Amino acid sequence: MSLLTKLFGASPFGPLLEHAQKVHSCVKLVIPIMEALRKEDYKEVRRLQDQVSKLEFEADEIKHNIRDNLSRRYLLPVSREDLDIYLHQQDSIADAVQDFAVISIIRRTRIHPELGENFLAFVAHIVSVGDTLLGAAEEMVNLAETSFKGAEARKVLSLIAGLGEQEWKADRMQRQLSIQIYEREKELDPITILFYEKILGALSEIANFAENTGDVLRRMIVKGR
Amino acid sequence: MAILFIVLTVILGFYMAWNIGANDVANSMADAVGSGSCTIRQAVIAAGVCEFAGAVLVGAHVTDTVRKGIVEPNALASLPHMTEAQGAALLVIGMLSALLAAAMWLHIATFLGMPVSTTHSIVGAVAGFGVVAAGWSAVHWDKMGQIVLSWFISPILGGIMSFFLFKLISGIILGSDRPTRAATRYAPYLFFFTGLVVVLSIVFKGLNHLIAEDRLFWMTNSISFAIAVLLGIFMAIFSRLYLSKKLSLFFRVPLSEQLEKVERVFAPLVFITSCTVAFAHGANDVANAVGPLAAVAEILRSGNVYMKVHVPMWVLILGGCGIVTGLAMYGYRVMTTVGTKITVITPSRGLAADISAMTVVLICSRLKLPISTTHTLVGAILGVGFARGLGAVNKQVTRNIFGSWFITVPAAALLAILLFLAGRIFLMDQIADVIQSQALTG
Repeated sequence: MSLLTKLFGASPFGPLLEHAQKVHSCVKLVIPIMEALRKEDYKEVRRLQDQVSKLEFEADEIKHNIRDNLSRRYLLPVSREDLDIYLHQQDSIADAVQDFAVISIIRRTRIHPELGENFLAFVAHIVSVGDTLLGAAEEMVNLAETSFKGAEARKVLSLIAGLGEQEWKADRMQRQLSIQIYEREKELDPITILFYEKILGALSEIANFAENTGDVLRRMIVKGR
Repeated sequence: MAILFIVLTVILGFYMAWNIGANDVANSMADAVGSGSCTIRQAVIAAGVCEFAGAVLVGAHVTDTVRKGIVEPNALASLPHMTEAQGAALLVIGMLSALLAAAMWLHIATFLGMPVSTTHSIVGAVAGFGVVAAGWSAVHWDKMGQIVLSWFISPILGGIMSFFLFKLISGIILGSDRPTRAATRYAPYLFFFTGLVVVLSIVFKGLNHLIAEDRLFWMTNSISFAIAVLLGIFMAIFSRLYLSKKLSLFFRVPLSEQLEKVERVFAPLVFITSCTVAFAHGANDVANAVGPLAAVAEILRSGNVYMKVHVPMWVLILGGCGIVTGLAMYGYRVMTTVGTKITVITPSRGLAADISAMTVVLICSRLKLPISTTHTLVGAILGVGFARGLGAVNKQVTRNIFGSWFITVPAAALLAILLFLAGRIFLMDQIADVIQSQALTG
């Protein structure tokens, strides 16, 4: 039996991309959830939350699969700890989406008509942050090809820098939305305001974890220089 | 009567060669098959041709070592209480036992699922019977020391070389802003080097074992070198033209597409380097099958043990044929398994590993050192891994490989000793008579 066939293990970079794609399909669902909230279509919100739950579970399975195989490997182009942390951060994105979805279903929160547009703009921005991260994650396979160095590494580093900027913008949008909410505090009941804050919190967590994921990726590239 | 023993040795030698072809050759072409650069059928045909060529063109050096470099023939000829013919008979019995023991060990180890090196087996077996036949002094321990040292050094050297080679490839070509352009410009140097090493290993210091000495008197060392350089340049030009043609359209496409194209274009080039590994494998490993055969044939032909002639060509051809037959009949199947499981080694990695392995094996062959081609290749692949080129390597398997070394030599030696002792009891006098009559008439 050939020696060489037993020598190789499967590379983790393919499954890592799979995980990133699964997480992103979660992230994309925040837009329809917000739209359904605006329309007060709570049955739709419920259905979407089920979908998010299922996708988050599938992402978890991929994560466990990667973790199981990762321990038996050696001579990776980057350190195993970094890959572990990267996976953890990327998985937390899906967890944050799940948090947002759960917040949406536990109470029939009405979105104030004047704030609706801004809420939608906010979720759209969050999804674009997710898009950018997916773009960087998709380059992982190419990064493995070039051993996390060279022109490809520089390209991914600039992608990640863009990610940082977008997350900063998300923070700003969140602050502005909060200000607008409190401008209308006389018209809104306290629990609704509470839930607005919870919603904003969960959404900005998505962007935070996306930025963290990008940070770990940046570390993987820079460490090897 | 002499014919009988020659035939027996021929059969055993052919059988060993068959085993080598059936099991080992798949490893030589692994990089090519794994990266999808050729079909299994193409790999089998190319491997067959290259193994045979390696065996016949370069195989004499290591075969000579196995024949008379490990166990000193004279030590057996000059044993006390024995005639020269009896001493020669012992050598015949010993070589036969060594062959049989090595072949048996191959089967046992394969049955137990252990990775096994044919080289380690035969060297261990020969040394084993030598010690029992004529005491410790019968074995050239300095040569044995060199050989065992080379077993450690060849994977390490292969690894070091592939480490730097891959760092070079990934830095200059894959890491560049325009990989397609960099590949066209720099990969030809790799091919120059490859061609140089292959040709040098064939022609340097003459092809004396192939063609009668006086006919090649014009081939001085400098002319040999010049021929090698010329052929290296030819390979470089070929690769340059090929790369230009295939890649020039893609000098300006996006980076990830460029990387993909470069790998795709490297794939057929990996086929060529895998062929050189098969060539190197034939050169070094044919000795495992026919070294003992060369010794026996010489003794029975001349009636003495002095082995002054070059390794006869028919012996190398026989070994080559055995390897090719084993490859065609069984190696096919092994290559299919290799193909489905080694997709992780992309062409650029395969290139680095192949060139390093081929170089180390051919240098060791010319230095008359029998080494394990498979282990050198494993070392080269690990070297690429250390250069951050691989997705993952199974640590357990690497441990098994290096662990199996410590079992193979003692086990093969033990088997050879047992067989030798049995043979000495039953066959010594008969063979001694045969040799005696050969010496008188020959």
